[in-house]
Amino acid sequence: MGDQSTVVSGGVLTRRRFFEGLAAFGGVSLAMAGMDALGFGFASAQAAPPKLEGDAKGTKVVVLGAGLAGMTAAYELTKAGYSVQVIEARSFAGGRCQTARKGFQHTDLVGNSQTCEFDEGLYINHGPWRIPYHHRSTLHYTKLFGVQLESFVNDNDAAYVYFEKGDGPLAGKPIRKGEIAADARGYAAELIAKAASKGQLDAPLTPEDRDLFVAYMINEGRLSPTDLAYTGTEGRGFEVHPGAGVDPGPGKPSKPYSLTDVLHSKAWRVLSSVAGYEQQRTMLQPIGGMDQIAKGFEKHVGSMIRYSCVVEKIKQSDKGVKVTYRDKFGEQDVIEADYCVCTIPLSVLKNVDADFSKPFKAAMSGVSYAPVNKIGLQMKTRFWEENHFIYGGHIYNDMPGIGTITLPSTGWQGQKGVLLGYYAFGGEAAKISAKSPADRAAFAVAAGQKIFPEYAENFENAFSFSWHLAEFNLGGWAEWGEEGRKNAYPVLTEPDGRVYLAGEHLTYLGGWQAGAIESAWQQIGKIHARVIKA
Amino acid sequence: MSRSIAFVCGLLAVSAASTTALAATPQSLFNDNCSACHQTTGKGVKGAFPALAGDPFVQGDAAPLTATVLSGRAGMPAFKDDINDADLSAILTYIRTSWGNKGKPVTAADVAAARAKLKASKKPASLQAH
Repeated sequence: MGDQSTVVSGGVLTRRRFFEGLAAFGGVSLAMAGMDALGFGFASAQAAPPKLEGDAKGTKVVVLGAGLAGMTAAYELTKAGYSVQVIEARSFAGGRCQTARKGFQHTDLVGNSQTCEFDEGLYINHGPWRIPYHHRSTLHYTKLFGVQLESFVNDNDAAYVYFEKGDGPLAGKPIRKGEIAADARGYAAELIAKAASKGQLDAPLTPEDRDLFVAYMINEGRLSPTDLAYTGTEGRGFEVHPGAGVDPGPGKPSKPYSLTDVLHSKAWRVLSSVAGYEQQRTMLQPIGGMDQIAKGFEKHVGSMIRYSCVVEKIKQSDKGVKVTYRDKFGEQDVIEADYCVCTIPLSVLKNVDADFSKPFKAAMSGVSYAPVNKIGLQMKTRFWEENHFIYGGHIYNDMPGIGTITLPSTGWQGQKGVLLGYYAFGGEAAKISAKSPADRAAFAVAAGQKIFPEYAENFENAFSFSWHLAEFNLGGWAEWGEEGRKNAYPVLTEPDGRVYLAGEHLTYLGGWQAGAIESAWQQIGKIHARVIKA
Repeated sequence: MSRSIAFVCGLLAVSAASTTALAATPQSLFNDNCSACHQTTGKGVKGAFPALAGDPFVQGDAAPLTATVLSGRAGMPAFKDDINDADLSAILTYIRTSWGNKGKPVTAADVAAARAKLKASKKPASLQAH
């Protein structure tokens, strides 16, 4: 409390000084909480790493895992004067931040071995693949490391939606998202506008509000202002596109589907008032593949990483932490440090011989991990662009095991392209992953063929990845149930002795790179506070 | 002639589809949903996915086993949204009585009761994740 004077130093309490003051005696989290309380809308995204000021006293930290959490910890701790070593099981850095391109190899736990055969310049991000604009932690490092970004098309009115489990004439038929959006919303607005204008809505609207409400519905549904009818709109596309002269001249408008056909198609599942928080535009991706972020970190912390070293034991005393690992030659070695930042996924960590306390071990069981599949399919032409005019975006569908089919947001109008043939998670993903890589590709191609008649004839080769079958991941991301989040999660966000866990699994940004980074920020902030106090 | 061929093909397609639906056995349900990790032999993958064959947890009290498959635990995913009660009970019975295991069968009603207790009702899959 004696430090409160810093808050008003210089006699003027500026907003900035106020927050710095909070940070000085309560840590970054308190400052963030303060900002949130004042309505600055920090939400879950932190914008910058904690300031680790003061003497690190030559403290040694061993970091387990060179994914984004581990490399964030290594980068920030080193800058603050710590001595850091990183142990990484793979022969490359990045953790789940990977990109498969020509020559990329993967052998899964059950022995499926693949070498990516995409043409030069083509790739698939089989791990993380998009960065929401509000993930300022991820964007902090892309800017810092000069990782160039481009737009990731996360919503495309021209993309098809394909729902085969509906009924009626639109079920099992590729329909453009813009058509469904125009018709579903147009009819809904018409019904509501008509009821409202007759005073039939069970809503406490004043006469003035009622007029405004009807005006809003006309705008929302693109209704006729005279009779409040929805009869189609140009945004859903044309039967004959408008052009030059008198032919095609104004073109020929398209006809809306009927309300009942739209309802029965179930394609309205793709419509919501606003995109979910994590799916909003602007969505971004690194030019040339997501692993550009891993490489950006690696440039700065690569010299601290011991690659191809698998952690076997974590033992600690009052004085420090001892980590035993096996290197690529099969030799066992030990590394000792004052503290440990452990970013190994809980699904893998549970099989490591560690002397964690009983409650900590029990808490580690309180989480499940999602089976997650992706497959990249190389196509010899970009028929989705050339014949269907779809530049990036998702083909939403209800085919089991497919999830989304996604068209590339890069390399437009090139000769070939790699599209995402499926992105599925949960039980459906577990099912498909039991197939051989060749059968997975056949499954994905057969599904895509239902949407694009050119699919199968353009298919050249595939690279598939199942995160639950990857030895050092055993799952795509952590999933906390209500019970686990309440009882287990808070235990794991606190250190067990001198071991601090970090990663997407210890955040409410699960499965996102921002989670890995922000979790590391939080934990190194705690380590630093302890070191300064000691 | 061509019309009658189309008709015959249609009949074949219908019968093929119904054969597939009927062909779901406890074993095929297990192989379909579980074998990617636990393997068709039930032996799992050492250091990653536990063996079900010979495992006391699998053959013992059905309640914690059912809860684990519904809600997930210790890295294992939750299957509550993917498998219905009848299929899940068939799978559970299969793993409790195969490969020399000697557990008691599990009924669809048992799974339904476990769902209610865990508030693990089946939800439709979301269209987007990360």
